[in-house]
Amino acid sequence: MVVVDSDSEIILRVKGPLELKCQLDTSDAQLMQKVISRTFESLRSQVKSESCVLAVCDSPVFIWPNRGALATPEEITPNAPCEDLQQWIQTDDQDSAGKRSAKKKSKRSSSASVINLGLMMEVTQPGPLSAPILSKTVQKSHFLTTTLPMDCVVCTSCGDAIKDACERLLEALTHQLCDMEKVTLQHMRGPTVLVPEVLHFLLPEPKGLVTVVYPAGVSDSQLEAQRKELHQQFELPDDRPYFRRANAYHFPNEPYKDGYLRNPHVVLTHPTLDNGKVYLVQGIYSYHHYMQDRMDDNGWGCAYRSLQTICSWFQQQGYVERSVPTHKEIQQALVDVGDKQTSFVGSCQWIGSIEVQAVLNQLLGITSKIMFVSQGSELASKGRELANHFLTEGTPIMIGGGVLAHTILGVTWSETTGQIRYLILDPHYTGAEDLQLITDKGWCGWKGPDFWDQTAYYNLCLPQKPKVI
Amino acid sequence: MGRGYIVEDTVERYLSKLCEQAGPVTGLLIGQSSAQRDFVVMAIRTPQSEESTAGNSVDKELVSEHARQVSRMLPGGLSVLGVFIITDTDVKDTLTTLRQLVFAVENLISSERLWNPADDEVTDSVMLHVNTKTRKTVCRTFDVKDPKSTAKPADWKYQSGVCSSWATVSCCLNVNLLVPLPHDKTSAENMAECLKEGLKVWAHQIESGVCLIDGKKLPEDSELIAGQRRNVRQMFTAQLLITSKDQRLPDVVQLCGGSVSVRGAIHSRAFLHSNKPKAKLAEKLLKRDVVSTVASRVQMLLEEENQSGDKQQTEQLCLPRRVFCPVKVNGPVCVCDYQFSDEGLAEVIDRLKEMLDIDAAEEDLDTRQEMTAEVTESSDTAEPAVELAEASEPKKNNYIGVAMATAVALLATAASMLYLSDA
Repeated sequence: MVVVDSDSEIILRVKGPLELKCQLDTSDAQLMQKVISRTFESLRSQVKSESCVLAVCDSPVFIWPNRGALATPEEITPNAPCEDLQQWIQTDDQDSAGKRSAKKKSKRSSSASVINLGLMMEVTQPGPLSAPILSKTVQKSHFLTTTLPMDCVVCTSCGDAIKDACERLLEALTHQLCDMEKVTLQHMRGPTVLVPEVLHFLLPEPKGLVTVVYPAGVSDSQLEAQRKELHQQFELPDDRPYFRRANAYHFPNEPYKDGYLRNPHVVLTHPTLDNGKVYLVQGIYSYHHYMQDRMDDNGWGCAYRSLQTICSWFQQQGYVERSVPTHKEIQQALVDVGDKQTSFVGSCQWIGSIEVQAVLNQLLGITSKIMFVSQGSELASKGRELANHFLTEGTPIMIGGGVLAHTILGVTWSETTGQIRYLILDPHYTGAEDLQLITDKGWCGWKGPDFWDQTAYYNLCLPQKPKVI
Repeated sequence: MGRGYIVEDTVERYLSKLCEQAGPVTGLLIGQSSAQRDFVVMAIRTPQSEESTAGNSVDKELVSEHARQVSRMLPGGLSVLGVFIITDTDVKDTLTTLRQLVFAVENLISSERLWNPADDEVTDSVMLHVNTKTRKTVCRTFDVKDPKSTAKPADWKYQSGVCSSWATVSCCLNVNLLVPLPHDKTSAENMAECLKEGLKVWAHQIESGVCLIDGKKLPEDSELIAGQRRNVRQMFTAQLLITSKDQRLPDVVQLCGGSVSVRGAIHSRAFLHSNKPKAKLAEKLLKRDVVSTVASRVQMLLEEENQSGDKQQTEQLCLPRRVFCPVKVNGPVCVCDYQFSDEGLAEVIDRLKEMLDIDAAEEDLDTRQEMTAEVTESSDTAEPAVELAEASEPKKNNYIGVAMATAVALLATAASMLYLSDA
């Protein structure tokens, strides 16, 4: 997740649609390119003009970046620090009834705060000007209408002046229009024009947030060449994805549309052991558990849910595009590989680590290692293997034994004393997506070696990361 | 509980004069409605047509058409509130006709509007009957949203200075529309249809835009005129900020038969009653005026075009410019007219007399808000147009020096007015 000095960094994000409209003659490709380039040039002038306005979302603040960061309300001056803007933003949990003052203090979250801005155009200006002219062109040709989804991000510190931040945002907008022009022209085929889409990716420090423009509708598999270029440009290893669409950065204040919790373990305090080190899952997973998706699998579906959590990890790290499989899809996969009879589909039968391994392979093309312990007490001695797994693969582990299945998200292990704790994500939870409750009651929590049934045998499925970008 | 109409004294004098004419006179009542009461600022007799039937029948089509044309000449905040009739016939015998008239007028006016009234708006239209024999006035209202509504009694009270301290909100706004023409049909009706569709989309952008008044985004329910400034005439400048429509069409590139664009600037103005008007009312009335003035002018141009019958392939036409004329009451209220580039001010004065029964002289007219558009030779028809192009395009504008000077003068005036009101 984002590791940022919470009191000094602000992310300014400006979003807004810009209309791209022009009349084209698609019979002449070169002329078409010229016309499209000229249209992009007009958009760039528009963004650089005095009519361009940045509206701070959920606030009465509007800034004219090309007029020296002139702003309304007048209390906001161009040289004021960016953090001043936060005081004007109204968040949901504030009582706005009856209060006349527009200034409200916003709550600081523990990660870098994001200030969202909207891109707007002022259509008024001092007159008088000439009355409008209607121009009609009659010519059989084509007409291009689309909307460019501008989305720029600038990382700045609290104390930076609003004026400077605006200049950087403007630069980012202009640069993005150039990127979009390139992508549009690159992917033009006769009368088909692809719309650009914008994604942000969080690269390891110190590179931080990086913005990429992709052609919408072109799948990740067809964009490998672009990703190779990006990996080279940013000097990233070429054995794991950073620029697939699923890797896109999720901004802290944006809710996930699917409603699942992401990485509930990050709010926990990790145990401290003598010479102990914490080894955790790397990346983002969703918490899948009993009763979700209107599927009543209470009492039998725990391994399915653990498998879903693992699948969500592979999807969100960009290794696979397919969505998290349903119980039926999981069961069908097992039938397809010959592991189960057709009557298995739609049943409430339990599955184990071997089945989890088989499904990961069948549906996601992922291979997994199986670790076997003949009794639960042996798990205490598996510290090194588990630590290594989280170091090299970083994927969630499914553990099944007796009649229960769980997900292991990490271990705290001391090489010298051998002490061990396990970070467990429990799929047996039947309640709502309430992070507070889930962590308070230990549905996601650190457990000791006595958590396991000391005499039962356990199988662990350790999924392996493919070495691809 | 009936509605209450507060009416300018000048209206009483006007109606009295009409009483002295022979034969029945019908006409329109102009003003502004608010939740609590309604204000009538003007009464305008409907001009007689040449073939007008002598006698007592009310020509509904004539009055409705008059209302439609008059609506185009009313800036924001002013509208046709209803009709009046001056006749020697008793009110009981004319009630049905008048009811039909009120509905006919409202239906025609609303069919041309590009915006829909909000749910909380007043939908009553007024009918005033003046009996020339007894000089008695009867005032009734009908709810035009309900076709089955019956006449409700209403108060009609004359007063002086009804709109003397009304507020004015105005702005100068750039229009930049570009719409494709259909591939398979190139008739004039299709161009009108396409423009209407394009105007609807643009109207929606304006309607959802942010409105700043005197540089500030005011909370919706805040009063426009705070504190003790109630009796001082107030002028406000508005700014409108819009975002493009986020439309993801499945077909990014479509066949077309050409395109039509409307580019230039308009001056928009709205008047607000002085009974604690709210910021959101100012915003609503101004935005409606913005949309109406552009739509009316496009409509007028197309009507002219159809009559001229000249169907060139590619052409440029100038929209008429807006000219304001004060109403002869104490206050800021004006009406307006549109002057085509081949007309002089004499034609404007004629129309003001014929349509609004206003006797204006050239020096009364305010022609400084908009400049006549000029078609230049160098227009590049292949140039891609962009919504909201930067306003300082010089190619259409031969008066940049004057414009700059005027702009500075206007800003200075606006600034000094702000200082005065802050004093």
